[in-house]
Amino acid sequence: MRLHTGIRVAAAVAATALLATACSSGSGDSGDDTADGSGGKVELTFWTWAPGMEEAVAVWNEANPDIQVTVNKQDGGDPAVTKLLTAIQAGSGAPDLFQTEYQKIPTLVSEDALADIADVLPDGTAERFAEGTWQSVTLGGDAVYGVPQDSGPMQFYYREDVFQQYGLSVPTTWEQYAQVAEQLHTADPSKYLGTFSANDAGWFTGLTQQAGASWWGIDGDAWSVDIESAPVQKVAEYWGGLVEKGVIDNKPMYTPEWNAALNDGSQVGWLSAIWAPGVLQGNAPDTAGKWKMAPMPQWEEGDDATGNWGGSATSVTSQSTHKAEAAKFIAWLNASQEGVNLLVSEGGLYPADIPSQAEALSSPPEFFSNQADFYTLAAETAKGVQPFTYGPNVNVAYSAYNDEFGKAAEAKQASLFLDAVTAMQATTVDDLENQGFTVTK
Amino acid sequence: MTTTTTLHRATAAASVPALRPERKVRPSVFGTVVLLVGALYCLMPVAWVLVASSKSAGELFSTFTFLPSTHLLDNIGELSAYRGGLYWRWMANTALYAGVGAAVSVLVSSMAGYALAKYRFAGKTLVFNLILAGVLVPGVVLAVPQYLLLAEVGLTNTYWSVLLPSLISPYGIYLCRIYAGASVPDELLEAARTDGASEWRTFSRIAVPLMGPGLVTVFLFQFVGIWNNFMLPYIMLGNDRLYPITVGLNGLLNQGASQPAMYTSVITGALLSIVPLALLFLTLQRYWKVDLAAGSVKA
Amino acid sequence: MTTLAPPRAAATSGPTRRRGSRRRGAAPYAFLAPALTLFTLFLALPIGYAVYLSFRTEIVQGLGLGSGARQEVWAGFANYTRALQDPEFLASVGRVAVYGLLLVPTMLGLALLFALLLDSRRTRATGFSRISIFLPYAVPAVIASLLWGFLYLPRVSPFYYVFDQLGWDVPEVMSSGLVVFAIANIGLWGGVGFNMIIIYTALKSIPTELYEAARLDGASELMVALRIKIPIVMPSLVLTFLFSMIATLQVFAEPMTLRPLSNTISTTWSPLMKVYRDAFTRGDIYAASATSVVIALATFAFSYLFLRLVQDGRAFSQESK
Repeated sequence: MRLHTGIRVAAAVAATALLATACSSGSGDSGDDTADGSGGKVELTFWTWAPGMEEAVAVWNEANPDIQVTVNKQDGGDPAVTKLLTAIQAGSGAPDLFQTEYQKIPTLVSEDALADIADVLPDGTAERFAEGTWQSVTLGGDAVYGVPQDSGPMQFYYREDVFQQYGLSVPTTWEQYAQVAEQLHTADPSKYLGTFSANDAGWFTGLTQQAGASWWGIDGDAWSVDIESAPVQKVAEYWGGLVEKGVIDNKPMYTPEWNAALNDGSQVGWLSAIWAPGVLQGNAPDTAGKWKMAPMPQWEEGDDATGNWGGSATSVTSQSTHKAEAAKFIAWLNASQEGVNLLVSEGGLYPADIPSQAEALSSPPEFFSNQADFYTLAAETAKGVQPFTYGPNVNVAYSAYNDEFGKAAEAKQASLFLDAVTAMQATTVDDLENQGFTVTK
Repeated sequence: MTTTTTLHRATAAASVPALRPERKVRPSVFGTVVLLVGALYCLMPVAWVLVASSKSAGELFSTFTFLPSTHLLDNIGELSAYRGGLYWRWMANTALYAGVGAAVSVLVSSMAGYALAKYRFAGKTLVFNLILAGVLVPGVVLAVPQYLLLAEVGLTNTYWSVLLPSLISPYGIYLCRIYAGASVPDELLEAARTDGASEWRTFSRIAVPLMGPGLVTVFLFQFVGIWNNFMLPYIMLGNDRLYPITVGLNGLLNQGASQPAMYTSVITGALLSIVPLALLFLTLQRYWKVDLAAGSVKA
Repeated sequence: MTTLAPPRAAATSGPTRRRGSRRRGAAPYAFLAPALTLFTLFLALPIGYAVYLSFRTEIVQGLGLGSGARQEVWAGFANYTRALQDPEFLASVGRVAVYGLLLVPTMLGLALLFALLLDSRRTRATGFSRISIFLPYAVPAVIASLLWGFLYLPRVSPFYYVFDQLGWDVPEVMSSGLVVFAIANIGLWGGVGFNMIIIYTALKSIPTELYEAARLDGASELMVALRIKIPIVMPSLVLTFLFSMIATLQVFAEPMTLRPLSNTISTTWSPLMKVYRDAFTRGDIYAASATSVVIALATFAFSYLFLRLVQDGRAFSQESK
């Protein structure tokens, strides 16, 4: 979608006139003068919101005077994608490097925002990652749209002290989870084992992924949408039941209220992912040492399945004129021992690069110093991440999740949770068809 | 016209409180209480920010909301240390966007408002109606096409991308037209012209000083408008070193699921961002006279 | 204020070089030139572009992966029919209507009340009250909503703490039935002071002689307010009403900021939130443009009808001839 000739000419003429009158003073130091290419020195801009990225980049810049990277910190997730897509539509303004959450890759690829870097990556990069993780940056084809940075296998986090106080045992199945939730809430009605958050579609996706769902699928030259499927309905019905009973809270996560509940111990458990220690430390610093991590409760006793919540790759955008240099930087950052050590020490990320994990993750996160085997356990759970395919309109499905499950959670009716799944399916399919994608029924 | 003008000059003088006839009036307890309740309602969230920004991250969610603590300086220190003092850069950016934007906007608006009030020319009604229509267009609607057009000339993600669209203020032009109409007598303009002054000189030496207080109002109005703007810079800027306060603080709040929101810093930052505007209001409060319909006081 | 020194260059294009010559024909155009240039570039052109986009759409082929899979084509009125038939859009218009009916009369009523009290000779603490009530205008809507969000959530709110101590069971203000009040309250908080100042300015410009006589005749402050002051400031009230209604139709920042705090504000709560969702969450700027055009046209129509109805357009068109 480019501007069309008439408007383009008008805009250009107008802007030239404007610049002629307006440029009397020096232009602001915008720092966007990427890629002057003077003297072989290459400047790359990097849009990211991962913590510690500036520190890691500083190490790179020190060692690579010819490829200088500038970090532009972004608002997490959606806003950055919005900006990137707007820049792609406008034809200019995109950075060279971009932090892409895994679920956004199909959308960005379908908008032609990401460059294929298969040819410019060092050999052997693919072998450093778990198959499922690598598949999410290739979408199953030959092109490579980024290098995985971190991943977010899900676990169950709980307040060990409160569990002891009420004599609760750590649930290993969802059936037990429901029992413990009821036991706790009956013992102290102000306490909940968790909350159903209608604001965190990524969280719900992870839960259904564990149950075996994959919301999209590629079927030859067509997409399939499988949101309204048995595993998703099972998960929705389960949570709807808990919310209707009132043993699980129905308020969203990441609100001041939720923070207060983490602090005062009324949220006793959190189904979260490997990056949870950082969030807990930021939101409830005084509860350090009181939390423990355990594998996710299972649908079948003895399974070791889990889902994924969060995690990103680093990609080169289609507007970058220095793809080779950008790929070289990414390979260092996400797939070398030095880079990965920095991701862990500066950013507290859980690296996707398997060969570097042992050295980088030798001690537990500070907030979980009471759990020495934190990363050993985490690595075991990570093996159980179930396959999942994201489609090109994840945002549509996710905002439908917010709206539909918001209504259901507010009403506290289990039947509405199933209705919400149906509505999500319809909205997602409608949108794909409306855009012209081929969708199989 | 003459009556309106003199009337206005009279009211300008009358707004000096001393000229109001002092008479013994019984103070109204009820009226005063109503006003104070209103003031309390408006101050309460501000008081809350003040208290909240004195709390540490843990206290913010664990102690009683209006119980102050002692960490204000720590919080300011932490906020200032965030990524090499980025917060203060946002503050400076905001001051730049709002200060320069409002100053140029006042110049542009005063010229246009003066022309609309004091000249007769072909297309006057059309121009005025166009500008009025501009008052009605919501910013969210404009942001995307503005971005696409600025991107076409490579100006997105620069100071210009926020400054340039802020320079045009249909509302400011509308107000300036009212001020020019009400405060600049035609006779003075005619006299200046008879003396051989150029049109520009007549405007800058006679009309501008007469419109002065009104122009300060338009400046303040536009300053606050740009200071509070969120959508335009949010869409235009990718480089966080160019952000204004609103966009910067919003970023601290929306860190994505895997990062804790920096509530303490956001709240402290919100408090500090209110201070400059509060000072501006206090020092310039006599200029806050937004007269939407001045010309119509013909009674 | 004479320090406002404009660049000399701005004048050279005008008629000013030739002293004494009476070429006033070009002068108004020269004075208007900067405003019209900026207006064209940053308002007219983007609006025109939005209208253009509203008749376009993008078509994807097959899987839509890889470059060149998307193609922009004419859509005719398809975006408009979809926008107008969308139940979410109509629902958002309904919500905003309720919001406006709650907010505008309350805000202007209080603004008028405060302005009259400030202007009354019998009230005290007027300086303090005036600046306090005006202060929220300095707080950006995004930040104001964040602050009120904290005050609304029962677990962190001082109000609910007090209610709790008193043993009252107060329903949550962000629950589905009450959330519109929660949003309107933020609008009220941010807007009442500004409107108060406008009305107060108008009150101040009433010559005191006009009501001194009435006072001498023994009229009470209330009578003076009702019979003299309010009728005179009516034009200002009409305009504040109009501008408030326009702001109401455009409510965006408050529900957008509060949305993540509860289950009750959908992503399409207000019409502009739907525009935002279409443009930015769904990447469909074509549908967003069509909805924007509909909103803009509705605003124009509404403003025009309102002015015709209230005072035959006098407030805007009256000339100081």
